[in-house]
Amino acid sequence: MAPTIHYYCPCQSGESVQMPPPPHMASSSASFHPLHSLFFCEECDAVRCNRCVSIEVSGYYCPNCLFEVPSASVRAEKNRCARNCFSCPICRSTLQVVASDPPDGGDGRPSVSLSNVGEPPFFLYCNHCRWDSAEVGITFEKPTGLAGTPLPLPISLHLIIYLTAQLQKFEDSAPESLEFERLKEHFEPFLRTSSLSSLSHVPSTSSHHLPTSSATAAASAALARDVPGVGKYNPLTRSRVGRDRTANKDEMPEYKSRMEISILGQLGSEGDGSDVEALRRMEIAEEIASLEQRWGNSWTTSLRTSDLRPLRIPLHSKVSKRCPTCRHILIKPEQKAQSVRYKIKLVAANYLPAMTAALPHTQGADATRRPQAKVPSASDDRNAGAMTAGKSYPFHLALTNPLYDPIQVRLSVQRMHVTAVTDSTAPEKARRTPFAVSLPTSSFPVAAFAEAWEYDDDDEMFGLEDDELGLEMGRTRDKDGKGKVKTVGVLEKRANVTVVGGEVVIGKEARGHVKFNMLVSYTYRSDDPLPSEDGVGTPSRAAVAKTPEVKTFTFYTVVDLGPILPREEKVDPDI
Amino acid sequence: MPPIRDKFTIHSRAVVCQDVELKGDITIGPGTVVHPKATIFAIAGPIIIGSGCIIEEAAIIVNRRKEVMRVGDNNLFEIGCRVECPSVGNFNTISTRARVHHTVRISNYCVIGAACLVVPTDDETLDDYTSIFGPAAERRTWSGRGRIQEADLRLKHAEYLREMLPKFNRLRRGDGA
Repeated sequence: MAPTIHYYCPCQSGESVQMPPPPHMASSSASFHPLHSLFFCEECDAVRCNRCVSIEVSGYYCPNCLFEVPSASVRAEKNRCARNCFSCPICRSTLQVVASDPPDGGDGRPSVSLSNVGEPPFFLYCNHCRWDSAEVGITFEKPTGLAGTPLPLPISLHLIIYLTAQLQKFEDSAPESLEFERLKEHFEPFLRTSSLSSLSHVPSTSSHHLPTSSATAAASAALARDVPGVGKYNPLTRSRVGRDRTANKDEMPEYKSRMEISILGQLGSEGDGSDVEALRRMEIAEEIASLEQRWGNSWTTSLRTSDLRPLRIPLHSKVSKRCPTCRHILIKPEQKAQSVRYKIKLVAANYLPAMTAALPHTQGADATRRPQAKVPSASDDRNAGAMTAGKSYPFHLALTNPLYDPIQVRLSVQRMHVTAVTDSTAPEKARRTPFAVSLPTSSFPVAAFAEAWEYDDDDEMFGLEDDELGLEMGRTRDKDGKGKVKTVGVLEKRANVTVVGGEVVIGKEARGHVKFNMLVSYTYRSDDPLPSEDGVGTPSRAAVAKTPEVKTFTFYTVVDLGPILPREEKVDPDI
Repeated sequence: MPPIRDKFTIHSRAVVCQDVELKGDITIGPGTVVHPKATIFAIAGPIIIGSGCIIEEAAIIVNRRKEVMRVGDNNLFEIGCRVECPSVGNFNTISTRARVHHTVRISNYCVIGAACLVVPTDDETLDDYTSIFGPAAERRTWSGRGRIQEADLRLKHAEYLREMLPKFNRLRRGDGA
């Protein structure tokens, strides 16, 4: 398992606490995220993660045809594509509308040349698993009206609408769907009265009944708003003057379902006797639909694979994300469904240095073992992947600077407060100091990021890779100036990447993973000319007389170097 | 191990590019197209490839058994696939990066999906119209609907390649020593 570094987002820790939780606890993994999933708010100067940003939908589109669906149609079409996009019930890939084969001449070769348009009946066909809808009896006749001219597509627009109308009718007439419609009609009057009478009700946040379009939602919100000085208007109570005023609004007449539940059970939607019979009689495992095939449906369907139907492809949405405190937009995608770019993209990778950890002794082991064994044996894994208790290992941290200015980085390990395990069986199992990490304490620079073409003149910037052993004297000499290989300190500087080495000493009785929190603080020259804007969070100003200002940013990370293997007396040599 | 003697019998209407690695006793029928960087190794026994086959780049067809390996007509071996079957029928499609072991015999109109590993331990014959798909190499039987259109498409594919490949690639001419 390769070592990983995750970054800390303080959204889970509450108002006052800014320290990250201890990394060895399983619950703290929720606060640590990989760098590619984090955002950075420039106004607040803070890291934001996917859990704390507020999300707004900016558009809906079909992932297959990339058609942008207006939000009004989304609800009408039940979040699925209204055009020709269906997913195969067997393998969930996209279905294609194809024409039937022309009549066979008998010798295997097509007797007539296949026309562009194809022949009826048309059906849906999966190119991946070769399922076709004729197996479940869904075929379509080509409607008249092509006027004889060959079309560039084999299917006319007429047919597309006809197809989806057919299948939609099929979907809507399902007994579950009719039941759902009946339930909605039953509850609608009660929801309407309760929403109008509640004073501080805003339909956009927590509405029980959604108006059919955003226009009516806005209108009903405006009507329900409290006007000072005017009494609340309630049309329903006005008509019920003679009735009992204390009639509880929560009471409603008994709901009678459309069909008996037992009849529904026979239709296969309940886990009843019919399902047990099917399971008893089944011959091969593929007769029963698997979980992945069934959970895309809106309600439970029968268990048999032969009852699976093609479903319309569900729509995807494009979201824009905002910082929760200052409401600044962090992510704003482009409106077109087919473009993957963003209008605004404030990701943490553009602001924070990217860090990767590596254990050089495993890299050396992998390189020598690669040409030999095809099947890695157990003891190979043990030697290659992990660290043994009772030894000390060097590790490398590579920091990549994304900014166009050079930065000075300072690392520090957070002291881990491990509570002693009050275990009666083994009280000496050292939970006190399982491992000790040493890192360079002084700050070191990382060069600025520059485009590749800037390195044309400077050949020394690129060059030697790290050799397999990984412990090589840095090209830029450190303060030591000694000739021996050192493990702790700056090892290498190359373009905008600096590799520093640290060392971890693992106690004899240590278990679990080597995980420690690390505080990273880096200083850079900012372009901001005026000192008037003061960040809310962590930036501290070391004012250097005038411009350029120097800003410092601090963040926590957790470094996971891998599992610790218990120490063994003897390792069996492998064949 | 006896040295492999190369003996290539390539039909005059087959299109075999120069960059193809051929070894052993290989017969290629008319109309077959072999893309550059394909590999056909008849290590222990001969390979006979029928007509109209399309063998794409990085495809590996290997015969490690002494018996003849017969590949039928109009098959499509997509990029990166590896086929060691003793017999392959007609109109099959072996998709990208699929691997088929030497214990399997493929009939006609089969489809081996992309990246599927068909590696049973015992000898097995795939029936006609078998379709293998998914990461777990699940199987199902194709109903055969649409096979004429697919056959027509395969013919057109091969015809187009026969026309276009020689314009951009050097062709292997003549037999090997």
